[in-house]
Amino acid sequence: MAKQFETDVVVIAAGLSGLAAAISAAENGASVICLEKASNTGGAANMGMGPCAAGSPVQKMSGITLTPGELFRRHMFYTHYQVDAKLVKAYYDKSGDTIQWLMDMGVQFNSVRPAFRAGERTKAYADGEYTWHVVQPEDGSEPGPRAATTMTKRMTEKAQDLGVEFMLETPGTGLIQDEDGAITGVTAVDKNGEEIEISCKAAIVATGGFGHNVQMIHDKIGLDWGKNLFSFAIPGMDGDGFNMCHKAGAGHTPVTMELMYQLPDNMNHFYVEGAFRQPCYWCDRLGERFMPEDEVFNTTFVGNAINHLPGKVGYAIFDANMLKRWKKYGPDIVSHVHPHDLYEGFEAQWNADLETYKDDEGNPYIAQADTLEELAEKLGINVDGFVAAVEEYNEMCAEGYDALFEKDRQYMIPLEEGPFYGCKQFMGAYGTLGGVLVNHRLEVMTDDYEKIPGLYCVGTDACTIYGDSYNFCIPGNTMGFCLNSGRIAGENAAELAFGDGGDEDWDDGDGDWD
Amino acid sequence: MKLTIDGQVVEAVEGQSVLNAALDAGIFVPHLCGHPDLEPIGGCGLCMVEVEGEDEPVRACMTKASEGMVVNTKGDAADKLRRLAMELILATHPADCTGCPKYGVCELQSMYQYMGVSPQRWRCKGRTVPTDDSNPLITHGFTRCIRCGRCVRACEELRGVGAIGFHRAEDGSMRVAINGASLQEAGCRFCGACIEVCPTGSIVDMVGLVKENRSREDNVVPCRSGCPAHIDIPRYLRYVKAGEWEKATAVVREKVPFPETLGNICTHNCQGECKRNYLQEPLSICRLKRAAAVRDTGEWKSRVRHEPLTGKKVAVVGAGPGGLTAALFLAEKGHKVDVFEANAKVGGQMRYGIPAYRLPDEIVDREVATILEISQADDAEPRIELKCNERVKDVKALLAQGYDAVLVTVGTFQGNVLPMKGHDLQNVYVNTEFLKAAREGNPQPVEGGRVVVLGGGNVAYDCARTAVRLGAASVDVACLEAEAVMTSTPEEREEAAEEGIVLHDAYAFTSINDDGTGKVGSMTIHKIAKFYFDENHRAVTELVEGGELTLPADYVIFGVGQKPEDTMGFDLELTHGPYVVADANHATSADGIFAAGDVVTGTKSVIGAIAEGRDAASAIDRYLGGDGDITAELLDPEPVEKELGKAPAEFYTPAVQPQMAPAEERKGNFAQYECPFTEDEAKCEASRCLQCDLRLTITKPRLWNEY
Repeated sequence: MAKQFETDVVVIAAGLSGLAAAISAAENGASVICLEKASNTGGAANMGMGPCAAGSPVQKMSGITLTPGELFRRHMFYTHYQVDAKLVKAYYDKSGDTIQWLMDMGVQFNSVRPAFRAGERTKAYADGEYTWHVVQPEDGSEPGPRAATTMTKRMTEKAQDLGVEFMLETPGTGLIQDEDGAITGVTAVDKNGEEIEISCKAAIVATGGFGHNVQMIHDKIGLDWGKNLFSFAIPGMDGDGFNMCHKAGAGHTPVTMELMYQLPDNMNHFYVEGAFRQPCYWCDRLGERFMPEDEVFNTTFVGNAINHLPGKVGYAIFDANMLKRWKKYGPDIVSHVHPHDLYEGFEAQWNADLETYKDDEGNPYIAQADTLEELAEKLGINVDGFVAAVEEYNEMCAEGYDALFEKDRQYMIPLEEGPFYGCKQFMGAYGTLGGVLVNHRLEVMTDDYEKIPGLYCVGTDACTIYGDSYNFCIPGNTMGFCLNSGRIAGENAAELAFGDGGDEDWDDGDGDWD
Repeated sequence: MKLTIDGQVVEAVEGQSVLNAALDAGIFVPHLCGHPDLEPIGGCGLCMVEVEGEDEPVRACMTKASEGMVVNTKGDAADKLRRLAMELILATHPADCTGCPKYGVCELQSMYQYMGVSPQRWRCKGRTVPTDDSNPLITHGFTRCIRCGRCVRACEELRGVGAIGFHRAEDGSMRVAINGASLQEAGCRFCGACIEVCPTGSIVDMVGLVKENRSREDNVVPCRSGCPAHIDIPRYLRYVKAGEWEKATAVVREKVPFPETLGNICTHNCQGECKRNYLQEPLSICRLKRAAAVRDTGEWKSRVRHEPLTGKKVAVVGAGPGGLTAALFLAEKGHKVDVFEANAKVGGQMRYGIPAYRLPDEIVDREVATILEISQADDAEPRIELKCNERVKDVKALLAQGYDAVLVTVGTFQGNVLPMKGHDLQNVYVNTEFLKAAREGNPQPVEGGRVVVLGGGNVAYDCARTAVRLGAASVDVACLEAEAVMTSTPEEREEAAEEGIVLHDAYAFTSINDDGTGKVGSMTIHKIAKFYFDENHRAVTELVEGGELTLPADYVIFGVGQKPEDTMGFDLELTHGPYVVADANHATSADGIFAAGDVVTGTKSVIGAIAEGRDAASAIDRYLGGDGDITAELLDPEPVEKELGKAPAEFYTPAVQPQMAPAEERKGNFAQYECPFTEDEAKCEASRCLQCDLRLTITKPRLWNEY
């Protein structure tokens, strides 16, 4: 027999959206049990640096006047109104206040940043907005990767203060519904493998997509992890919530991945990977260039581009001259992820990897050669096509003008001097997005747009607001949506648990405003 | 002893460190190199605290608590040093955690979440070490190592092995590495203590070992979770190693009443799960169970549960392993049980399905007698009554006859016949009838004839090998599956081949051909190129052109599955034809009627039926007002030796093989051909066990969010 518990609201998973949901439900008076598969709270947010918001106190202090309304328009233009405008607006409207909400918990923000500033040529359509609220590490140091852990810690503490009961290493396994489909409980399995049943009035599913589930990625997105996709696979993100919601009758939305690009198993090849993320020579399997390389800082654009190349693979290539220049002056594109001593550490790792860094069939991911022909041969690029395209490219470099893509002329450096270095570039992604149909209150709906009473879905499973691509111009968006969707759902779930009906009930409908 | 920590008066025991005193009192102090089960070394510098009267902050793990001591864990000076220590750890730890298998359960991640430290003011320098997955079971990703030394201490202090240590790398830094060219060379026991204590993703279980849908415990001890009845395998293997057969059998008996039967014929899913599959060969768990059972003296009998009579009566329909197991556990809970059996003797497939050369009648008789004996114990009347030759056609009527509950465990006794051309010819046999007739000493004739068995499971092989023993001139086995995916065990096929049985794998059955007199003359089969299930779950076969083969044959035996008899008349909800629908509590569509075993699950295994019988007994007991507790403690828990010592060379050997009658000798009769392990063989084989369960005895440090 399963162990029995009772509470108002069950939050399934304690990542960023789950924490936000748990806190806001508890703040609004609900008793809350928060399940979590891992032993740490914070989920994928522990990797990040901070959320997106508009109209926050931090922005105002910094003279950034961006309003939620402006950001909403920006967002909707980017997505061509293919996404739920009401949900997007609800999110941005809440976002500024959410920053204050976090500050009240003791979270400090170091600064608001754009992810990048576009060059003059692309500024009009692709400049980065100042929306990224980077969390200040507790010790006052400069924020780096993982800075957001300070935020997830403060949120965990706040939730604990509010009486939220965390059940760690206890994944949710299913939803219990009454005959009308309304949620009456949640099942889970605790760390000893014991089954648990929690009866509740509302459940908030916040399990973070299925980025770790290779089979589901294949079935639902059509990409093959380990072959043409090397996305983050954070243990535990197996689509539990996605499947749970659909089993309970949730409607369907398209599922996407916020594509970017990377080398396979990049953590073990960080110097090699970092070295190639530069505006050198990028081509497809035929040897031909596929984008102006000055845009390779935009991981979304490159990931999308690779998705449409033959074999879904790109190639980045530089020569001895470029390497010498980067070693001396530093990389053209500086990343906040890759090591500072990128080109110092490059050769040791490169030489160690040359013999061993291969796919299952023994094809190398990287290669070095004294001639262009040999390099193409090793990497499986069409030799004639490559040599011809490089020749043409080198001529354009000599002329100082890229007649093909009008790449920024400062990066028009020819591939001339061996040895030549090349690598394969594949699609990467942070995780999956969307799949569960929700409304602007984060209530889960059926395919007929009818609410499933008591069921909410938040965070990435509900994140259908990007359309086909992550909007790299509005940084912090994934965390921002997680926080605000969680917060909105928490409020609504608490309201439902108490049955006071909220704003709509102020007017009892008989017209006399009593 | 009393001391004050952060203004709170705290109790400590003599010799306890300030760190442990604080942690025990619920005051969290960051620490990483410290571990509850390991001696402190003061390495990581995270547990800095201020002690009144000391000029400088001290390491709480290395400072003994003393009477009246005043400790401040939150002072600025200590905090500064602590943060510095964390910054330096993070400066060499990879910044990108997303590829790490420990993400979410990482102690370092929890610790930097707690401390909110960023290494940005340091020149971060990764110490890239290629991931080493060349060793079995344990993967080293030393790039993630923070040199806390927990693994080194666990291997030395807890296990006395010392397979890993600190070594100076080329760049002059100290790093953890194997004390030898490989773990095996270093005398590693593969116990996993290093994995368990590693606070990062530096030492982890080999990819594929940890399955998402299993609990941590089940992942750590997969043999036990792989056993349908969850027999505590590592525990009884330790007793076998010590030659304590009695205790070993008692451990098995805590879960199942057929140790010797299982020791002979179990499908041993446990061995498929055994981690030594990745290190030479799995343990011969099944044979070790037999080795213990044949030497059992039954001392455990006095400790069998024997609750007072409840006055309730249960009818069990079908005296196979599931029904008999349920009967025993129901009787132990105080219920009287009548077991109805259609055949002349009880045992079900143990007696009428499995050939005698694998499981002689005496063993079944003996174990059934024990069930009757222990369930009666000192009662005047037996609690279990066996009613043989009584085929129940109407299970609902039993309720009317005064039984408080009924359990249907009729199994699957009707062999399937494929509706192919020639299936109704003379000399076409069916698995269940063929095996049962042979078992009853009244075999269907095959002597001197050419036999073709259709099917690739263990039952098909039972038919084939029985035919050999009945004097068939030749025996061929043909099946749809390719050999790699056949459901029979590889040992079964190997032994059968030794007995002259020829396998034709990946063949479709075309027709059984008439010899012109209405009898079987030959069997036509056709080589399959591809066999799969389409999106509608329909089987699709693509044939090889010209791949037809006609085998001359006098007899054809269908070994293509079996299904329940009689259930169509039970007036219970059925599924997939004759299978009874039962819920998680084994309840059928009729109140008071339960079902378990093959009749519900489809043909599985003896151990599967036993596990079902256990569950059903528990569910029925609850239905009858009991607590459903059928756990047993047939021997006292004993402390386990956790120090293993360096592994000797013989630890890394393949499984010990028992004595077996040679094929020429065994194929002429139905005598059991495999000998039980000798005492020495059993001890030697059991000593190969990795004792994966020891890892569960290591304390799990509490993270800050649990304080």
